[in-house]
Amino acid sequence: MCSPCHKVAGLVLLLAIAGCEREEREFQSPPPQSGDAGAAVLSTLSPGSSAPQATPSPTGRKYNQNAYHISEGKRWFRWFNCNGCHANGGGGSGPALMDEKWIYGGSIEHIAATIRQGRPNGMPSFDGKIPEQQIWQLAAYVRSMSGNAPKPARPSRNDALNPGPAEQQRDPLPTVGGAAQGPR
Amino acid sequence: MNIALTAAAILLGLMIQSSTAQESNSQPDAISPRSAAVQEEDGQWLMAAKNYASTRFSGLDEINAMNVKDLKVAYTFSTGVNRGQEAAPIVAGGTMYVVTPFPNYLYALDLTKPGAPPKWKFEPNPDPSAQGIACCDVVNRGAAYADGRVFFNTLDSQTIAVDAETGKELWRVQLGDINKGETMTMAPLLVKGKVIVGNSGGEYGVRGWIAALDATTGTTVWKAFSTGPDAEVLIGPDFKPFYAMDQGKDLGVTTWPPNAWEQGGGNVWGWISYDPELNLIYYGTGNPGPWNADLRPGDNKWTAGIFARDADTGQARWFYQWSPHDLYDHDGVNENILLNMQWDGKARKLLVRPERNGHLYVMDRATGEVLSADPFHAITGTLGVDLKTGRLRYNPEKEPKVGRVVRDICPAAPGAKDWNPSAFSPRTGLLYLPHINICMDVEATEANYIAGTPYVGMEVRMKAGPGGHRGEFSAWDIAARKEAWTINEKFPVWSGALVTAGDVVFYGTLDGWFKALDARSGELLWQFKTSSGIIGQPVAYRGPDGKQYVAVLSGVGGWSGAIVAGDLDPRDATAALGFVNAVPDLKQATTPGGTLYVFALP
Amino acid sequence: MRTGSRLSAAILALFLAGCTGLPAGLDPAGPAAEMITGLFWWFTAICTAVWALVVLGLGASLLRARPADDGASPLDRGSARRISATRVVTALVGATALVLVALTISAFITGRGLAQLRGEQVRTIEITGHQWWWEVRYSDGGPAETLATANEIHVPVGEAVRLSLRSNDVIHSFWIPRIGGKQDLVPGQVNHLDFTIDKPGIYRGQCAEFCGFQHAHMGLVLVAHPRDEFERWFSSQLKPAQAPRGAEARAGQQAFLSRSCVMCHTVRGTPAGGKIAPDLTHIASRSGVAANTLPMTRGALAAWIADPQAVKPGAHMPRTELDSDELNSILAYLEQLK
Repeated sequence: MCSPCHKVAGLVLLLAIAGCEREEREFQSPPPQSGDAGAAVLSTLSPGSSAPQATPSPTGRKYNQNAYHISEGKRWFRWFNCNGCHANGGGGSGPALMDEKWIYGGSIEHIAATIRQGRPNGMPSFDGKIPEQQIWQLAAYVRSMSGNAPKPARPSRNDALNPGPAEQQRDPLPTVGGAAQGPR
Repeated sequence: MNIALTAAAILLGLMIQSSTAQESNSQPDAISPRSAAVQEEDGQWLMAAKNYASTRFSGLDEINAMNVKDLKVAYTFSTGVNRGQEAAPIVAGGTMYVVTPFPNYLYALDLTKPGAPPKWKFEPNPDPSAQGIACCDVVNRGAAYADGRVFFNTLDSQTIAVDAETGKELWRVQLGDINKGETMTMAPLLVKGKVIVGNSGGEYGVRGWIAALDATTGTTVWKAFSTGPDAEVLIGPDFKPFYAMDQGKDLGVTTWPPNAWEQGGGNVWGWISYDPELNLIYYGTGNPGPWNADLRPGDNKWTAGIFARDADTGQARWFYQWSPHDLYDHDGVNENILLNMQWDGKARKLLVRPERNGHLYVMDRATGEVLSADPFHAITGTLGVDLKTGRLRYNPEKEPKVGRVVRDICPAAPGAKDWNPSAFSPRTGLLYLPHINICMDVEATEANYIAGTPYVGMEVRMKAGPGGHRGEFSAWDIAARKEAWTINEKFPVWSGALVTAGDVVFYGTLDGWFKALDARSGELLWQFKTSSGIIGQPVAYRGPDGKQYVAVLSGVGGWSGAIVAGDLDPRDATAALGFVNAVPDLKQATTPGGTLYVFALP
Repeated sequence: MRTGSRLSAAILALFLAGCTGLPAGLDPAGPAAEMITGLFWWFTAICTAVWALVVLGLGASLLRARPADDGASPLDRGSARRISATRVVTALVGATALVLVALTISAFITGRGLAQLRGEQVRTIEITGHQWWWEVRYSDGGPAETLATANEIHVPVGEAVRLSLRSNDVIHSFWIPRIGGKQDLVPGQVNHLDFTIDKPGIYRGQCAEFCGFQHAHMGLVLVAHPRDEFERWFSSQLKPAQAPRGAEARAGQQAFLSRSCVMCHTVRGTPAGGKIAPDLTHIASRSGVAANTLPMTRGALAAWIADPQAVKPGAHMPRTELDSDELNSILAYLEQLK
């Protein structure tokens, strides 16, 4: 056997495995462990000389890269009326989600916390109303709206009237930073 | 009470005057430049619509078509809130009252001092969470003054009375629940010692109502819902609608699927007029919820229509439905201008309504009969009004359906003309219409009702209508039933109109120009660029120094300006319920603001 | 030998048992199904006859003595034989064509008959397929007689019924074997299915087009009543949900309204107005839960609410963290929604 063939076969296998992870469908979230939610910090300022450290969570990482979770998140986004205020990412009575401005932080942990706790200027708290797994799926989808998910995992089209470029076609935007336009 | 009487006197005067104007309308030269009503002009502006007839006509004529070109800024005032400023400044005595968008500050400006410094500021501290359930920016359409008190509504559904002199709170009442999506944005109207208010929330499945509160205590005198059983709609033996389609028992229940009326909308967030002679108030009801009409088969009474009610008891006298089973979010809440004039050779008490569906209705305000309904805008969504049955005929080709994109529905959801009120001059017989030229593509989608969240079920993408311009300012000749002249604007016109006895018309544009036109020819006489887009209502008053002033709030926002006020993203054509796609270039034309501009001759 | 015959008898009984009972295809309950069943038997009879003839021919040729070996190549046959073989083949092809044409014509006649079945007084019921349940909407009367329910269709006996079939997501297929044929539910399109039911009873149906994980658990039930019984059912369904009776049920309503349930489900007469999941206003009057995956019992309902993903993995009803008190009170509340 030739060595290029081996290489190709290895590559194909690797791709296939990566595809499995992207596609893996986990219907039931395992019971949450402490530390799963990560530590979301809303400021880049901390007394002393070092900046505050945010801890990414394993849960967040998992949801962020999984096409099934993101597409489920897109379904909940419509079903739970998120689109009523945030439209298809352009915003309305709520802020735009497809841009680079994140009033309450743009990491998946921040977004999950925002959905869970609500925010003082109009974002309702969905704690107890949306189960934890669905919150993470929503948060993963919200991040994908600004291109922040692996491209193959992002939704490639809309089922209804075309509102603009699909999530997959959007360039990843930075998600750091707080309020860009005053309180909301 | 005195104020109410004065206002009534003005109204009557206006009515007399308008009939004079109409009689002489065929010979415009014969219009008398001064009439009794003009002399009775007290120089104040006590309610958003100026008078009970809602003419927004000021009898002041110091500023006229000849000298308006010299108009200069007299003073400005920053409201400190950079959101959509839809309010009309209120002027009573030597004080001006300005209510801001959320957080609904109420300012009193001392007009007797140079530069009109603030006398006091009242902070009602509404619940900030209410911002999340305001469909179309966190606006407020103004306060009302009567008997030394200022009344206004807050976004979180409170009505508050404040002492006009001291700025101290007299009473406040909580009228709605934000967890049901209920807000209040409309300007109250004071009628016979009662504050008349209504709620907003047609995009949240909120059941609409109008209520009359005792002006001294705030207790509810009567409250009438816009959907549901007759007892709750205050429909009794006096109810005599003109058309068969509005007659029947409990239509507010039977024209809906079971229980759907509980989330049916019909909110009263627009304008109320009052006829002291008939003792009737006139107001419109908002769109039925949700927008997706498949989910609410039936006529959906009493939404998207107009009620005439007894001002004392709230009992309905008649009702007419502009848009039975509304398909396009055509709220029926626009202003009703009450005129006494000749119609087909007979003197009649008329009600003129430029409606969101693109028709200008002339009705008999005693009976509710539609005398004419002429299109003032390009219409594809409907095929005219059948004057025999009173029914609007829909175009089946443009009916929104689930799973199908329907294109080029004109006018779009904000209608040919939204809430921003027109003005009528008895001197010219013309109605001055600020309006918009926008069409839309839509697809109905499933709508999920979750209390306190939007209940719409429609993907909407708006765009410029025929001609490519998005706004128009027109003069409509009521007697001749045709347009006299029109001016095309690049952006939708979302400001109110003001006309004065100096035969000057004022309005503002979304990109910040405040304009004065010749009331007869429409010729642009003067314009001034303010700091932000204008969606407010211009007013005119006589200052303590005897001079005439014209005031307007500048600050872009509302539904049309949400892209700027809310910093929305135009890459999404459906942002702000589709409006962003019609004004994707607005961010380049203006920035958020919140400043009062007052102009006078030097 | 005795065990062998017993076994075969048992197997036969098992197969035959499949021919009656709830979803049986050969036990028609209405003209449409009767016509289809008739056609089925007609096809079966003809095909059986053809099959028997073929087997007989095959057997005959197998048994027939081979002609004596005359030394010639088996492929080299006399011209007389060739001619007779050609005749036989021609005749058989002709017979086959005839049979096929006859079957086609009979299928066409049945199809036409099915299409003409539509009676004068037609009741229309809108069926919308969802992953993985059936939305049922009656909207024939005035707007106030619009009724939404799920997974259970009630019709009066002897009345022409027209289903208008839509889908909200993917292609599903509507099939109640004892009532009639299948009809697909296609997104963005409305299909129709007409039928009449002769006998009161309960008829089981099933999604007949693979539509995702829980395709197999997308069942539905059709209940045919005498006219007056149907009217009683209809008017009781039109009523809003009854108020909870008893402290536990009241607590259940509170829990229902303050937990995830309220995000998707409707209970008319309460603030719960969710439209993306089955209407629960009269859930306790229905015979099954989870699209007839489980029977309507307190235990089954508890299993379904406590962990829907264990019952129907992939279903869009998520698991909600409820403590046992909450779960019990919600069950008490739902059980009262007759």
